[in-house]
Amino acid sequence: MIISKLKEALICFKNLRVTFPYPLKRNIEALPVEGFRGKLTIDVSKCIGCAGCANVCPSRLIIVTDKKAVRRLDFYLERCTYCGRCADVCPEKAITMTQEFETATNDVHNDMHISAEVYMGTCQRCGRCFETQTILDKMMTVGFRNNQTTE
Amino acid sequence: MTKQEILSLLKAKLGAGFIAHTEPIPDQLWVEVKPQASVQAVELLHRTTKARYLVSVGSDERELKKRFGVYHLFSFDKEHFFVTIDVSADPHQPVLPSITNVIAGANWSEREIRDLLGVQFEGHPDPRRLVLADDWPNEVYPLRRDFDYSSKPPSNPENAYPFKDNPPNTTVVAMGPYFPVFEEATYFRLYVEGEKVVDVDYRGFYAHRGIEKLGDASLTYNQIPFIAERICGICGFVHNVSFCKLVEHAAGIKVPRRADYIRTIMLELERIHSHALWLGVAGHIIGFDTVLMQTWRMREPIMWLCEKLTGNRKTYGMNLIGGVRRDITKAQVPEVRKKIDAMDKEWQAVLDAVKDDTTLRMRLEKVGILNREQSHEWAAVGPVARAADIDMDSRKDHPYCAYDAVDFKVITADTNDVWGRTVVRILETIESFKIVRQCLDALMELPEGDIITEIRDEIPAGRIAISAVEAPRGEDVHFLLTGGDNRPYRWRVRCPTYPNLPTVQVMVKGEQVADVPIILGSIDPCFSCTERMEVADVNTGKIRVYSQEELFNWTKRKA
Repeated sequence: MIISKLKEALICFKNLRVTFPYPLKRNIEALPVEGFRGKLTIDVSKCIGCAGCANVCPSRLIIVTDKKAVRRLDFYLERCTYCGRCADVCPEKAITMTQEFETATNDVHNDMHISAEVYMGTCQRCGRCFETQTILDKMMTVGFRNNQTTE
Repeated sequence: MTKQEILSLLKAKLGAGFIAHTEPIPDQLWVEVKPQASVQAVELLHRTTKARYLVSVGSDERELKKRFGVYHLFSFDKEHFFVTIDVSADPHQPVLPSITNVIAGANWSEREIRDLLGVQFEGHPDPRRLVLADDWPNEVYPLRRDFDYSSKPPSNPENAYPFKDNPPNTTVVAMGPYFPVFEEATYFRLYVEGEKVVDVDYRGFYAHRGIEKLGDASLTYNQIPFIAERICGICGFVHNVSFCKLVEHAAGIKVPRRADYIRTIMLELERIHSHALWLGVAGHIIGFDTVLMQTWRMREPIMWLCEKLTGNRKTYGMNLIGGVRRDITKAQVPEVRKKIDAMDKEWQAVLDAVKDDTTLRMRLEKVGILNREQSHEWAAVGPVARAADIDMDSRKDHPYCAYDAVDFKVITADTNDVWGRTVVRILETIESFKIVRQCLDALMELPEGDIITEIRDEIPAGRIAISAVEAPRGEDVHFLLTGGDNRPYRWRVRCPTYPNLPTVQVMVKGEQVADVPIILGSIDPCFSCTERMEVADVNTGKIRVYSQEELFNWTKRKA
């Protein structure tokens, strides 16, 4: 009886204080590690508007709308589960998961909302939009136009 | 017993009641029987062959086969296969004989099928509502295929839950829906005589989230793993693996070996931190907070390790159908090993200190008895069954992932009490350390990077699969009937608390009121798992929401 109590006391004395004074002091141990999936960001200049992210998102928070010459992607991040599937499937790696984890806010609709606008290319004959400008620019340099000699 | 022997037994005893049998996948025997023969078939399996009852699944198959299907699932643990008794109910007047009088553990399953699909069970001893909210309108069955997942039927505030009548000379002690022991909502009504508990009644399912309905109405195969992970806050990865295993089984997808090992490591890390959490909570319940502080301190490095390996400390998001998303590289292996070794050392110290603590033993021994027969009757699983000297563990009985390649012991105890469950959990954690080490050795030999087989073809409709995965709390069973549209036709989750929670009514009878919290705690209940399904109606007319100001004024008045 007394021996087991002493053993228990010993375990306690070996490890006195283990908590961190977060958020007063941000100890390195308490911060996210590399590979942590935090709040996502999108690099609009890379986005080709393929909407692959909207297809795979389990919580359906990415809404894609086309309005005239603009394709708009809305991310309603208050529903985000931080699974990172959008970043996985993005062919251009335009979406990345950051280390940001302190996302508490009083204004969730604005602070947790990201929107990206991608301009559409118009057809020279009929004048209608048919594909985003980014992917058209990309096609000029890589891929189908085989500018680089491969063999 | 082999499958052939079971078949001939059923054929001989049931006679004309036996319709047909199939073997959809190698570890399954599917027996179709007529409704009037179903009770006899179930009785043969449960009593004569001593098969372990898993769960009954109801499925609305009016579009497919013009029937409601009810499947009674059984497991032959030592023979490594499942037997399903398949019964059809009429699509217009679905009535079936109840099997609850034969297997007490079927009580909840049948009530749930009645609530959600409207299949009536004749002769059910306790035909009260189980899953649906009290004010849910009668005759509206939310899991039927023609019920839209987003529809909200009008509230019916007249319905009240009929609790059991007081046994004579007893007082009611209400525990719940919110009480200091658990953070989740559940309601226990204890009928006490002095300090002694005479009877108990239960009302739960306050936290329905409609997960199964979403699974067969809205989400796709590769989205479901992420919601499956959120069925439970502690054993999420188990549900995740269960679901992926189901689809892989049904579609015949071969998972890379490295992914198997990574899944095994994550499952065992989850078991380690879950058991550490449980031991802490159990200590907290009985007022031994040193254990709470110390085991939770030990648990933290494991959580950080998980964050490093997967990207999040709890909902790992590691699984997809066909494999895992992140590799545990050879460079990471030494670090995992270091953390595991450190935890192992500390855990041994805890075991050493706790095992002879007389205060603890006086509090836990001979409390909350559930013996071998009762355990079989109520189909208890996990540490609860293992503490009743039943050698069952799906890691051994139905090997999945890499458990066929690792060496470990199934820990059992024969004390039938809370102390037995505690010892089983502590020793099991030590086995988990061993398993992780073996998996790490294997990872060093396998080539890096080969972690996922992507699905290229459509997953065929009409396939059936059952998967049993050992969660920290017990066996987790998932059932799947694949459908079109890249999503399941019916997906049923039976978490370990589902069969274990009803056993509490057996355990608490005759015990002191003060022991009820720890008895309840000893099954490691997880209400969020148990109540994973159902469409919640938030627009009830009955509930009044107090404004922040009103509440604030109240507190001021009291002070």
